[in-house]
Amino acid sequence: MSWLATLNQTYENHAHVIGQFEKKANDREYALIPVSHTTQSAHIEVILDGQGNFITAKVIDKSEASTIIPCTEASASRTSAPVPHPLFDKLIYVAGDYTRYCGEGKGTPHADYMEQLLSWCESPAAHPKVKSVYTYLSKGTLMADLIREKVLWVDEQEKLIEKWTPTLEEKYGERPEIFKVIASDQSAAFVRFAVQIPGEAESRLWRDPSVQQSFVQFYDRLLSERDLCYVTGEHLPYADKHASRIRNSADKSKLISANDTSGFTFRGRFRNSRDAVSISYEVSQKAHNALKWLIDRQGFIVDGKVFLVWGPDRLEVPDPFGDTFSLYQDEEEASGDLAHKEYANQIRRAIGGYRFDGDYKAKVIIMVLDAATPGRMSIVYYRDLNKELFLDRLQQWHETCLWLHRYRKDGENRTISFLGAPSSRDIAFAAYGPRASDKIVKVLIERMLPSIIDGAKIPLDIVRSAVNRASNPVGMEEWEWEKTLSITCALVNKTYEKEGFTVGLDTANKDRSYLFGRMLAIADVLERRALGRDEKRATNAIRYMNAFAQRPGRTWTIIQSNLQPYQARMGTDAGYYNRLLDEVGSQLKAEHFTDRPLSGLYLLGFYSQRHELYKSKKEKDSEAEQINENYEMGEDVQ
Amino acid sequence: MRNQLEFEVFGSYALFSDPVTKIGGEKFSYQVPTYQSIKGIVESIYWKPSLLWYIDEVRIMNPIQTESKGVRPIDYTKGGNTLAYYTYLRNPRYQVRCHFEFNPHRKDLIYDHNEHKHHNIAKRALQAGGRRDIFLGSRECQGYVEPCVFGEGKGFYDEVPEVDFGLMVHGISYPDETGKKERETRLWRAKMQYGVIRFIRPEECTLVRKTGEGFMKSFDSTNMESVDVLYEEWFPRGGGSE
Repeated sequence: MSWLATLNQTYENHAHVIGQFEKKANDREYALIPVSHTTQSAHIEVILDGQGNFITAKVIDKSEASTIIPCTEASASRTSAPVPHPLFDKLIYVAGDYTRYCGEGKGTPHADYMEQLLSWCESPAAHPKVKSVYTYLSKGTLMADLIREKVLWVDEQEKLIEKWTPTLEEKYGERPEIFKVIASDQSAAFVRFAVQIPGEAESRLWRDPSVQQSFVQFYDRLLSERDLCYVTGEHLPYADKHASRIRNSADKSKLISANDTSGFTFRGRFRNSRDAVSISYEVSQKAHNALKWLIDRQGFIVDGKVFLVWGPDRLEVPDPFGDTFSLYQDEEEASGDLAHKEYANQIRRAIGGYRFDGDYKAKVIIMVLDAATPGRMSIVYYRDLNKELFLDRLQQWHETCLWLHRYRKDGENRTISFLGAPSSRDIAFAAYGPRASDKIVKVLIERMLPSIIDGAKIPLDIVRSAVNRASNPVGMEEWEWEKTLSITCALVNKTYEKEGFTVGLDTANKDRSYLFGRMLAIADVLERRALGRDEKRATNAIRYMNAFAQRPGRTWTIIQSNLQPYQARMGTDAGYYNRLLDEVGSQLKAEHFTDRPLSGLYLLGFYSQRHELYKSKKEKDSEAEQINENYEMGEDVQ
Repeated sequence: MRNQLEFEVFGSYALFSDPVTKIGGEKFSYQVPTYQSIKGIVESIYWKPSLLWYIDEVRIMNPIQTESKGVRPIDYTKGGNTLAYYTYLRNPRYQVRCHFEFNPHRKDLIYDHNEHKHHNIAKRALQAGGRRDIFLGSRECQGYVEPCVFGEGKGFYDEVPEVDFGLMVHGISYPDETGKKERETRLWRAKMQYGVIRFIRPEECTLVRKTGEGFMKSFDSTNMESVDVLYEEWFPRGGGSE
C-alpha cells in the first residue's frame, strides 16, 4: 500500500485514542489529534458558565499549554494575512475590545472570527458550550475582564505593557505569570475556553470529544468540492492545502505541495496540480495527524532526518537501529556475558515478544524523512515489510553482527558486558569518531538499513574506516578505544559471517591475520602482567598496533625485541606466555610472515585471545563443565 | 496470445514517480512500474500510430528496494538550481508480457494493418534492444531490454501469495486511444500475486478522471509510410533472404 494509505489506515486502527494525551520521556505531551484539528500552545484559559458569563481566567503553566484546537484548511496554514481559527485563537481575533488596549491591526480579525463562530453556532452541528463562548465574546469585554483578573497588565495609559521592566517590578512586585509563559508581548497571547455546566464532568472545551465532533460535522458541510481521491478511490471533499509542521511545531516543510511555478513539476501534461493528483481532505488530515503522532511517539530525529518504524496494527516493534542490549530492556533476566547458545535463545525470546498469534499478515513500515530545502520534505526511504520477515531479519542481524561489548551501563551506573549487535548510532561513532557531525551520522544510519533488514553486507567503507580507527588505540582514551574495538569486531564478524567467528578463541583457525592478531594480544597481556597494576602506560603492543596492522612482519620483530626485558622481569612466570607465543607463531607459515597489511580479522584474533587470557580459572572450569554437559546431552557445541 | 512480445527490462535505477510527491518536486517512486511506464518502454522498442500496445502482465524479479539521492533540479524562475531528494528503486528487473492490437480509432490507417509484418518487426526491434532509448520511469534511469520467456528464472516474490499496492495510477488515456477530445488519468488497485502483476485493460479501469484536453493527430499515406511500402523498398523482389 502507498505510504499515505498506510498512514491513513494507522489512524483508523487507532481511532480509540484520538484526543488522548500521552507523555513523552521529556514530559512533553502529544496526542493523535482529530481531523480538522491541530495543536497549539495556549497561554490564557478563560472559564465561563453555561449562560456565557465570565467566571474566572488564569495563565496556563507551560507543561499544560498544549491544546487541541479546531482549525480550517486556511487557518492551519495561515501566515501573515489574518485568518481566524474557529474557536480558540489569539487575543487579536477573540477579544472585541482589543483595539482599545493595543491599537489598530491589519484587516478585521475579530469580525471575521465572530462571523465564522456564528455560522458554526447557527449550523445544525452547533454545540451548546460553543454557543456560550459566542454569547460571552459578543459582549466584547474579554480584555477588560482579563485585566481585572490580573491576567493581563496595563500601564497608566490603559495600554498593554510590552515588557516587564525593573521599574515596574519595584512598583507592582514580582513578575506576573503571563510574562513567564509568553516570549513576545502580551498581545500575542493565545486564549482557550472552558465552560462549566453543573453536572457535566468535562468543562475543558479542548478536551471534550463532543465539541471536536461538533466541529468536524460543521466543517464537513463547508467542504463542497468533491473529487476522486488518489488514496481511497472514492469521490470525497478535496484537500486544497496539506499539513506542515510534521517533525516539530516550528517545521514549515510539507510532504505534499505543488511547485509548478518554479519547479515545472507537471507542466505540459496538466493545467494545475489538481489535474495531476487529488487527495481527499479526510485522508490528508488523517494521514498527516497519524504521522505527526507516530514521530512524537516513537520516531527519532538526527539533524532533521526522521527515522520511524511502526506497525499499522500494533505500533510497537523492536527498534532496528538499537543495540541488542536495548532489546532486553523489558526482559527480567537480562544478563550479558552468555554462552553463544543461550544468547541465541535470549534473542529469540526478546524478539518473540513482538510476535503475536494470528497476525502473520501484519506489516512493519520503515520510513525515513528528510528535507533538502526548508519548504519541502521528502520520503528518502520507505519499506513495507511483512512483520514476521522483519522480525526474522532482525533476529538474524542480532545473531550475526555480534560481539562482546562492555560500554553500556545499567541503571546503577555499573559497567555491564553484553553480547550482541551495536546500535547504528554507535557504529557511526566507531567508524567516524565521536565528533562525527550529525550530517554524517544520519547518512550512515540510513545506509545501515539494508544490512539490518535485508541481510545485505555492511558497506565496505564503513567496516574499513572502523578497522582503521580500532587499529589506532593511541589516538583515543582507553574506554573509547575498547568501545570502538568491540563494535569493529562486530562489524568484521558480520563481514565474515559465513565463517562463523565467535568471541570464544578459535585455536584451529589458521588465517594469517587472525594468528597475527592473537600474537599481538599475547604480547599485550604479557607486558601488562609484567608492568603490574599500578603502571597505566600503554604496552608496546598497543603502541605499535597501527604500524603492526600495516606492516606486521617488520613490526612484530620490533614488538618482540621490546618484549624481552619484560620476559626477563617476569622470569618463570612468563613461561606460559612464551609457550603460547611459540605455539601461535609456529602455526604461521613462513610465507605468511611478510609485511602484507592485515585484514580486519586480526582484530577478532586479538580480542578473542585477550579475552581468553583474561578469563579467570573459575570461568574456564565452568565453561569446560558446560561443554562436557552438552556433549553428554548429545548437542553440538558452538 | 496473438502478436505477443515477451521481454525482460532492467537497469540500475528506476523512478516511477508517485504523482502525490511529484507535484512538489521531491519525487518518490511507486513500488512497482505503472501500466503507462511499461507501455512507454514497449513503445520505445517499436511503435506506429496504427497500433496500440497492451500490457498483460509484469513479473517483479528483484526485491523492491529504494535508495534516495540528493539532486539539484533547475529552478526555472530564479535561475541556478534548487535542492531535492529523489527516491529511486534500486536494481529493478522486470519480465513483461504484452501484445499489440490495431488502433480502432485510426480508421485512416487501415492500409497499414499487416499484423504479421508488424509483429516480426517488433520482435527484431526487441532483439536489437529497442528502436529508441529505454528508460525506467524517468529519463535519467537508463534501462535495457532483452527477449526472454515470461516466467522463466527465479523471482524474489515467487513464494509470496499477495502484496497489495493499493490505488495507483494505471496510465493516461490520450485522444487517439479513446477517440474522445480529452485526456484522462486512469487509476486502479494494483496487486501482485506470486510476483506477477496482471494489468487490467485501460477500458476496464473504473476510476477515471478527466485531466486535460487534446486532439488526435491525423495520419495518412502522405505523412506515414505503410509497412508494405517499407518492405517493398527494402526487399524489392519479395525478400527471399528471410
